[in-house]
Amino acid sequence: MQLVDPTVQSPDLQNARAPKLASLQGLTVGLLSNGKLNAELLLRETAALFVARHGCTVAELVQKGNASAPAGPERIETLVAHCDFLLTANGD
Amino acid sequence: MTSPSLATPADLHQLHEAPDDLLAAIDYCYAQGWTDGLPVVPPELARVEAMLEWAPLPAEAVIAQHPATGLELTVHAAAVNAVMAGCQPEYFPILVAAFEAMNERPYNFHGSTASTGGSAPLLIVSGPIVDEIGMNAGVNLFGPGNRANATIGRAVRLIILNVFRMTPGIADKSTQGHPGKYASCIAERADVNPWPALREELGYPQDVSSVTVYAAAGFVNVENHGGSTPQQILDSVADAMANYGSISAGQSVVVLSPEHAKIVASTGWSKAEVRAYLFQHACRPLDGMKRVGKYLERELALQARAETRGLPDADGAVHRGLSANDILVTVGGGDAGGHSAFIPSWSRGRGSIMQSKPIGVCLDC
Amino acid sequence: MLCTRPFEVTARNIARGMGLPQYPFAILDHPLGSLTPDQIRGRAEDAYTQALSILLDDEPLLDP
Repeated sequence: MQLVDPTVQSPDLQNARAPKLASLQGLTVGLLSNGKLNAELLLRETAALFVARHGCTVAELVQKGNASAPAGPERIETLVAHCDFLLTANGD
Repeated sequence: MTSPSLATPADLHQLHEAPDDLLAAIDYCYAQGWTDGLPVVPPELARVEAMLEWAPLPAEAVIAQHPATGLELTVHAAAVNAVMAGCQPEYFPILVAAFEAMNERPYNFHGSTASTGGSAPLLIVSGPIVDEIGMNAGVNLFGPGNRANATIGRAVRLIILNVFRMTPGIADKSTQGHPGKYASCIAERADVNPWPALREELGYPQDVSSVTVYAAAGFVNVENHGGSTPQQILDSVADAMANYGSISAGQSVVVLSPEHAKIVASTGWSKAEVRAYLFQHACRPLDGMKRVGKYLERELALQARAETRGLPDADGAVHRGLSANDILVTVGGGDAGGHSAFIPSWSRGRGSIMQSKPIGVCLDC
Repeated sequence: MLCTRPFEVTARNIARGMGLPQYPFAILDHPLGSLTPDQIRGRAEDAYTQALSILLDDEPLLDP
């Protein structure tokens, strides 16, 4: 018998990693938090190490607003405009 | 209702040559990874075409899109999975409307299906379609035995697995989940409901049925056989709503048994009064929340965000939800038994907001 | 991107779906939510070390 496939094709997403950085000295760190317990603290403490060891500055932390939904293009554009690299975290 | 598809599946979609022997075809479906662990009805071509005859939209119409992966649910893919679940074609408009509801951003389809919270979409159907397709709104409301309830709910899960690839352990990180993840579809009981039906509260025309989809955690049975006043019954429900394992700023669904609904409505309480009472009394003291490690001012503020009315209360109580509007009250179950259900929402906060859609029609078009 | 070990398979699944199967991220011990601030600072050191490789190396380690 002929059975119809119940699955669908994945969308053809064209994405690429940002190129590696030549140096971290003096760069701005962006922080995107999902709001989970200790997420903000972890991000800030990690960023503090970049500040202490590489002279980085930290941009204002952005909250995703909803832990389990994508950040949304507006938030992403804001982050891209104000930092050189981003620290974020997923899951719990 | 019938609506012919614009293209046959054979023209557009992948077909598998499976054995003619039915049992072998069932095994084939298992081997492809298409099941929820139970045997499925092999999605034979003619059955899919018959399901599409009841589609309220063209076969290639996109009903829902996964916000994180971009995977899209078409009417056609929904029909294939509906066949596999064992749905009759006349059930299909409910399934389509349910995913239209889940596609609304506030429902948070990804979060509610991926989270460690392990919720399942609970479908509550209200209106004339309940009797038209023979849904169960009575005895054993949440349990097995009714084809419509069982297969519509099951089709939801098969779509989540097969189309959206929310595979347990990989994309679905439910710590424990709950049995409702197999199927969660109930009907609102109309004959003994002392209050307006859900579809009427939604403002739908009398001949239009509704489906409400709610990201539901495992439910709490609220047993009370001695209470004889609205307060006694509702105090039991409110206590369940505020249990430390469930309390959050999220929404609630309360399904009152006919016995409980009769008592609650016996002195003329409106549904609005019921919801207000539940909201007022479903609370825990601030000290208690801190004692169990569940009160974190920053987290509550984050979760409540712009909707906060200033948690906690002036009296130091932390309430479940943000207002009485967060509580859906309906009626269902058998005539006998002081057993109602409180169903907590997924997430520690307000991660998902329940959504409703009309079935088979577009009221905004 | 930081995640804890139980969510590694989920993160890799998402990366694959986004067309970036080799996307590197930092993997930390689980859990985080119940840790004290001092314990979080310990995790931050681990996160920093892995982030350095991700940001600066041509071929960052995917699973240190």
